[in-house]
Amino acid sequence: MSGWLAGFRALDLTDERGLLAGQMLAKLGMDVIQIEPPAGSRARQVAPRDEHGGSYVWSAYAAGKRGITLDIGAPEGRELLLRLVESADFLFESEAPGRLATLGLDQATLRARNPRLIHVSITPFGSDGPKRDYADAELVLWASGGPLHPSRDVAGPPLRISVPQAYLHGAADGAAGALIAHFARVQTGRGQHVDISVQQSVTQATLGSHFAAAVGHADYSYLPKAPSTRGGAGRKPLDLSGSGARTRRSKWVVRDGLVEMHLGIGPAAGGRTNVLFEWMAEHGAVPEAMRAWDWVTIPQRILADEITEDDIDEARDHVARFLAQFTKAEVQREAFARKLMLAPVNDIGDLLASEQLAARGFFVTVDEGGSPRTLPGAFASGAEGMFAPPCGAPALGEHNDAVYGELLGLGDDERARLAARGVI
Amino acid sequence: MTVQALGGLKVLDLAWVVAGPAIGRSLADYGATVVRVESSKRIETARMMGPFPGGKTDPQRGALFDTCNAGKLGLTLNLASAEGRAVVMDLVRWADVLVESFAPGQMARWGLAPEVLREANPRLIGVSTSLMGQTGPFAAFAGYGNVGAAVSGYQAIVGREGEIPVGPFGPYTDYVGPRFGLVALLAALEHRRQTGEGCWLDISQAEAGIQFLGPEVAQGAATGAVVFPRGNRDDNAAPHGVFRCAGDDEWVAIVARDDGEWQRLAKLIGGEALAPELATLAGRKAAEDQVEALVEAWTLPQDAAAVEKMLQDQGVAAHKAATSADMVSDPQLVARGHFVRLPREIGGESVFDASRYRLSETPARYLRGAPHFGRDNTEVLRDLLGYDAGRIAELEESGVLQ
Repeated sequence: MSGWLAGFRALDLTDERGLLAGQMLAKLGMDVIQIEPPAGSRARQVAPRDEHGGSYVWSAYAAGKRGITLDIGAPEGRELLLRLVESADFLFESEAPGRLATLGLDQATLRARNPRLIHVSITPFGSDGPKRDYADAELVLWASGGPLHPSRDVAGPPLRISVPQAYLHGAADGAAGALIAHFARVQTGRGQHVDISVQQSVTQATLGSHFAAAVGHADYSYLPKAPSTRGGAGRKPLDLSGSGARTRRSKWVVRDGLVEMHLGIGPAAGGRTNVLFEWMAEHGAVPEAMRAWDWVTIPQRILADEITEDDIDEARDHVARFLAQFTKAEVQREAFARKLMLAPVNDIGDLLASEQLAARGFFVTVDEGGSPRTLPGAFASGAEGMFAPPCGAPALGEHNDAVYGELLGLGDDERARLAARGVI
Repeated sequence: MTVQALGGLKVLDLAWVVAGPAIGRSLADYGATVVRVESSKRIETARMMGPFPGGKTDPQRGALFDTCNAGKLGLTLNLASAEGRAVVMDLVRWADVLVESFAPGQMARWGLAPEVLREANPRLIGVSTSLMGQTGPFAAFAGYGNVGAAVSGYQAIVGREGEIPVGPFGPYTDYVGPRFGLVALLAALEHRRQTGEGCWLDISQAEAGIQFLGPEVAQGAATGAVVFPRGNRDDNAAPHGVFRCAGDDEWVAIVARDDGEWQRLAKLIGGEALAPELATLAGRKAAEDQVEALVEAWTLPQDAAAVEKMLQDQGVAAHKAATSADMVSDPQLVARGHFVRLPREIGGESVFDASRYRLSETPARYLRGAPHFGRDNTEVLRDLLGYDAGRIAELEESGVLQ
């Protein structure tokens, strides 16, 4: 037993929509028992999958938990779940709203068995309201909570992140909500229901743009504008991306991929562009006519018609040609030394090879049924003993004997009988 | 008096922009006393970002700042002055928790290194949240949100297939980081409850972001596979896309999660959509361009909200890509009380997101909006730190409280 939440137990009925919640707590040492239907969790089928059909989603988000099988729809299964509830501190589930109640596992029944239980529901739209029973999908939730609409450039439809994210936001909120409720339980001795709506969780991912109508910001637009050379005309263009640089204009092609850098102008950002041009000048990469440019004053000079948009485009071409000769790593080292706001556009391979992440021991390799799996490890550093040693995701029913035997005291015969009847 | 989950918890919030302040916001919702220290001279970024009431830029009225800082007490302080730092040290001795998000090393340059603060208050739980973490060769690598999204892998995975990626909207790791930071902090509080020990936690926003790419990390390590942008497509479903509707910039997201859902959608579309070769996922994947064209030809003349309703009535997953106007009138968000409105002491009102956790017995309470500059200076210095009127006046006069 190690990790700061060792000594607590959670039952985890979630599928891929909620696995992360229990996993975050399992990493901190909590005994999290993943409960799957006897045929296996839906999450075991979710892409991406390995050559044997094993889901990397399962690998990543069931890691660190124990695993048992249980048919909670069968009367005997329901009773076993209630017996497990008696020894649990938390219950996580991502069933459709109302489904547990139809199985006779409503909140009142659960709480009657264990008044200390903290019951966390992670559902697409929350456990009540007119859209509670809406059909859900990751993309659909991303659309419903605000982050999809602004995510785009000038051409084409709003774009999702090409790796599902929405449910992860909800699940991570589930872990936090559970612990907040725990501190109420410390005072009152009583558990409660924690209701997570993924739609509401993802509103966090809009940088506040979803408030525009609510506060009456009528012309609020997050579509990228033409580069802000009209900035000196009295009204400062809003930096709506939090970076001024989320379009493809901030991506530069280098030898082995892309780097991200906003070619800033004006008082706030022009200084860094001057530093970039000093670096370029050291390599003879700045034409005579541009050597005296001060990017801090470029907006005024454009307004004064001393410099044209075409000149700026030409400068961009020089930057592009200069950066193209380096690798991502080379550019990052130099940018770091010169304090440029330039970063490699890392792909998964770059992350796995990252010097920084390696120095911090971020990735861990665990055993999952005889296969190694490399995964993100601890989510905080600096404190000894905070996290339990990492371990891989459980095989189907891997801990049935331990949990039903040791925890519930069911003998071998009883377990065999339940297995034969398809309950476990 | 009803119990508040985090009632009595004392938090010193030195964080700025989004990732750090979001942590303290969640604590304040559940009863913690959170003192947010900031400078009114070097105005923090979030205050300048809007959206703003009436579209008028005003650092005292920005919605992003409001939602990250609702419920906190506001103290303006010049951290660059020795007197200002003396006040911070008093707050450190008062606090259970400190959250900061300065560039790594900045606190130490002010003489406020973790060791110094922990010596002053051994029970203190410190949380430092930064882009790359406090250690490692690139610890000092700084940047705005686009840089965080780049180093954590997200700039590479948003875009159209075969094109240079667009990248995600805004500082994506700022949305993910505080979720991990908050859970780590709550675990530290439990640890302290059991052992009496404080600690100092180092949260890397880049690493937090990568937690949300766990499956792709596992796959990449096992096979060398790399994720590329694929528009809105997904292996598990087709169609899986965002389709243009009638009107200006109106879109609907539609996902046929199985063949049955496609059948119901195809019936509404009619014509070629009913072709038997499109009846299976494999068939639709093989003709995904055609499938998407059929769907969009059907959505194009229609109202996005009407498409959402029509498909949901058939049990097909669909939702309008919500704009801010859609969200404020969304019946679901209204029913859930998502937008909280409180009067602002300097006029107008403050609008912010409700807590993302709805607790049945000890719900979040919203007693005050985010502070305007210096709103709670007296309350903090007099009531929390016990300064007398003379001391407060002295600080005031010497310009420390700015």
